[in-house]
Amino acid sequence: MKSKVRIGLVALAATGALAVSSCGFGGDGSGEGDASSLDLLVPSYSDGTKALWEGVIEDFEAANEGITVNLQVESWENLESVLQTKIQAGEAPDIYNGGAFSAFADEGLLYPAEDVASEETLSDFQESFAENEVLDGTQYGLPLIASVRALFYNQDLFDAAGVAAPPTTWDELYAAAKKISDTGTPGYGMPLGSEEAQGESLIWFAGNGGSFGSETEITVNSPENLEAAEFMKKMISDGVTQPDPGATQRTPMINVFAQGQIGMVYALPQTVGQIEEENPELNYGVTTVPTRSGEPATLGVADRLMAFKNDEDKQEAITAFMDFFYAEDNYVDWVQTEGFLPTTKSGSEAMASNEDLAPFLDMLPTAEFYPTTNPAWNSTDGAFKSLMGQLEDQDAKTVLDQIQSKADAA
Amino acid sequence: MTVTAPAVPPVPPVAAPVQPRRKRYGTDNVSGRRMWGRMIIGALISLVFLTPYLIMLVGSLKTRSEILSVPPAYFPQDGLQLGNYQSMWSTPETPLTYNLLSTIIIAVFATLLVLLVATPAAYYTARFRFPGRMVFLFLVIVTQMLQPAVLTAGLFRQMLWLDLNDTWVAMILINAAFNLSFALWIMHSFFAAIPKEIDEAAQIDGAGRLKVLFRINLPLVWPGIVTAVIFTFVSSWNEFAASLVIMSTAENQPLSVALTKFIGQYATSWQYVFGVSIVAIVPVIILFAVIEKRLIGGLTAGAVK
Amino acid sequence: MMSTLQRPGVRTGRKKPRSNESLWAALPWIGPVLVLIFGVVIFPAGYMIYSSTRRISQAGTNVEGVGLANFQTVFADPNLPRILLNTVVWVTVVVALTVLISLALANFLNKPFPGRTLVRMAVVVPWAASVVMTTTVFYYGLDRDYGIINKFMVDIGLMDAAYGFTKNTTTALAAAIIVGVFVSIPFTTYTLLAGLQAVPGDALEAAKMDGAGPVRTYFSVVLPQLRGALAVAVLINIINVFNNLPILRIMTGSIPGYGADTLMTYIFKVLQFDRRLDVASALSVVNFAVVLVIVAVYVKIVKPTKEV
Repeated sequence: MKSKVRIGLVALAATGALAVSSCGFGGDGSGEGDASSLDLLVPSYSDGTKALWEGVIEDFEAANEGITVNLQVESWENLESVLQTKIQAGEAPDIYNGGAFSAFADEGLLYPAEDVASEETLSDFQESFAENEVLDGTQYGLPLIASVRALFYNQDLFDAAGVAAPPTTWDELYAAAKKISDTGTPGYGMPLGSEEAQGESLIWFAGNGGSFGSETEITVNSPENLEAAEFMKKMISDGVTQPDPGATQRTPMINVFAQGQIGMVYALPQTVGQIEEENPELNYGVTTVPTRSGEPATLGVADRLMAFKNDEDKQEAITAFMDFFYAEDNYVDWVQTEGFLPTTKSGSEAMASNEDLAPFLDMLPTAEFYPTTNPAWNSTDGAFKSLMGQLEDQDAKTVLDQIQSKADAA
Repeated sequence: MTVTAPAVPPVPPVAAPVQPRRKRYGTDNVSGRRMWGRMIIGALISLVFLTPYLIMLVGSLKTRSEILSVPPAYFPQDGLQLGNYQSMWSTPETPLTYNLLSTIIIAVFATLLVLLVATPAAYYTARFRFPGRMVFLFLVIVTQMLQPAVLTAGLFRQMLWLDLNDTWVAMILINAAFNLSFALWIMHSFFAAIPKEIDEAAQIDGAGRLKVLFRINLPLVWPGIVTAVIFTFVSSWNEFAASLVIMSTAENQPLSVALTKFIGQYATSWQYVFGVSIVAIVPVIILFAVIEKRLIGGLTAGAVK
Repeated sequence: MMSTLQRPGVRTGRKKPRSNESLWAALPWIGPVLVLIFGVVIFPAGYMIYSSTRRISQAGTNVEGVGLANFQTVFADPNLPRILLNTVVWVTVVVALTVLISLALANFLNKPFPGRTLVRMAVVVPWAASVVMTTTVFYYGLDRDYGIINKFMVDIGLMDAAYGFTKNTTTALAAAIIVGVFVSIPFTTYTLLAGLQAVPGDALEAAKMDGAGPVRTYFSVVLPQLRGALAVAVLINIINVFNNLPILRIMTGSIPGYGADTLMTYIFKVLQFDRRLDVASALSVVNFAVVLVIVAVYVKIVKPTKEV
């Protein structure tokens, strides 16, 4: 009976499926209850990130018999939703590479840094970075990488528009952007879309002596910030930026610069490598960020490693991993391959001779960082991403007040 | 449990599967000129539906920097990068071969599971009235309203308890559960359209209900089954939100999640994103090509080859 | 309206499903479905409702019960009216256009012509492809700088200069609607195409003998017979379009503020940017309730489970 055979086959296949698929490829059930198995959740910085970590882990496992590390790499876009789901279910990764840490530390989810790294490792961090990892007198994060923004300008467009020298003040920036825009190419690229509106904003705010606040207070609508936002608004309404800045994302816009279609943008150390790969002929220069007074100031960003407390006691294994990773050779190799600035003393000595990084290393001391130690920072960050672009068609004060109220509500 | 059947008109013998010898809609004979018109319209329709994927295909054959050139070029200027289709299987970002296998396993078994549980239920609810029938059908449609995307936290927790996180079984169950409503409802509507007299006659001849379902009814609802299969398979194939949190090992993640691994913080390997997307379409098209004939069913009379 | 159309004289004797059976008798048939639903769906759904009554920290820790406070936050949200309006426009326009185009397309694909199988396969491709990727292609195609679609329209003289379609609320929503229709058509067309296979030839001949033209035949014979498939297709479309996140998230995602948001994208933003898991859960519950009501009304009026 044909139909019976068919039913039988389907049933057989289904049973087979359940037997076969009870697991999957690889993976070891994330080793619950196993103190010597570490879960590591990291974002993807570049297409080499996964391989870099795999190399570190392989060497680490070889040097530390009995400890295994489960690596999970996610894109930045998905990273936090994966983390949030895990925390909500009480399954936080043992080690996490991310941005803000204060919300986690505030709830006692993190190990203090001194519990998961040796004295030697901790004392090697540059003080300015270590300070950013402190909440209520305790350091939680281990600074992983840093980056600062600089002004990238297209020399050919400068020459064609008759701009003599790269700008150092806002007024010069405005004048240069206007001259270039008059030739038909956007003079200045201002990405206020959801990707990184907070970054572009802080570069401008810092250029007027402003900031986003401190550990205890978020100040978005301060007079300095408002002045800066008004100047940004003026750039937009006078048409010296690219069209639709409020909905422009940073990454594609920097690429447009790399293709020679924008006069000036604020970009990062990685952009140098990106231009090298995508359009090596581009005739461009890198200089300090123009500010209102001409005194250098810029935005600095740091990411960190943090260790979550889980049920089992994994402190020892985590400490072994952190000490291994931050040892000079491993760390420098990692940071250099990803194209970031180092956060350790030994690392910056080792990398001081790197010419591509020189202008950025110079600017590091003047960098203003996000107030990541403030528990309200996450919400402020989100508010900038979803609201700052409205600067395009609302006045500066309204926009900053909206963001401030979101921060205050957090 | 026998049902008293009312007197029914004569029906075809039960022994052979029923092949309705009816002329179907749209099987008219038409002139050659009209045929050409249809072919041209058909070609235009194909073009409209394929254009985005042609753009994707062309993109997958460009170099990484070429994809981002401003202004864009319609065709690759540095030669066709056919090597992209080779190198994408061994990128550092994701183990693509495993991702493809995982996706196939999950989608195939989720689809089989849906057919296995939904077919009898669709048949029964179309044929018999029982207390709670409407409640049951409504409950089923409710599962369609609940998208895994807003339920990931609960799903993750549940699979943690069941110790199924990071397993194919978890995703097979999730995909089957959230996609069975369409299969059930569409098969229900097809079963309901079959004259019941056929069943009744069969039962008078002593055939059991299962036999009536499989021998008499199934051949008549093939178009519905085909649609249900494609729907379930495609939804499972492309599921993202639940897979993202439940599958944590790179090898176990389906293609939909693997794709995101090519998106870095500062640079994205678009040539691979496009290439993998093209590759991901192929198995579904193969499945469709295999079962499309069933959609036409016994429809041959009057058709032009 | 459709239910008032009566199919002429075939099989008029048949009306209701057969006589009553007990729930026990039904259980072996519907049991597996119930097991699957209760086993997989009920817990996460319940968990969503539970989360909506809690205060959950930004980190994801479940802090305390707050009753209905999250719902008060949701209903006090000044953005809500605009978001609901956008949602209604989005669902109505996409589903209506999808159904109209699909009816025509299914009818066409049901006619014999050489190469029909190939055309059918072409139509299935947008269904086979992931919605995220299809939308991404449209998004980049419409980009002012990289966009091949933009370039094409400039090259053929349709536009003077490239335009940032995805960067302005109106054009971005319109583009999202086009993509929404584009990806919904294959599924709908195939469901209707399957339905067309069931249209009996004798009814067509009867109509022909009555002297009915093709148009009248379509509306009086074919469409009523399609009722079952159409009803299910519309139902699934309403739900899926309502719950669709990727299309709008990508097409309107770079637009600041909440002017272009639907309930789903708003939930996403609350989750991603405001990091309010609890409020997002409350919004999800509201979202679910709205779909539930729409579907209940739809099922009540259209009766897709009714015998044809």
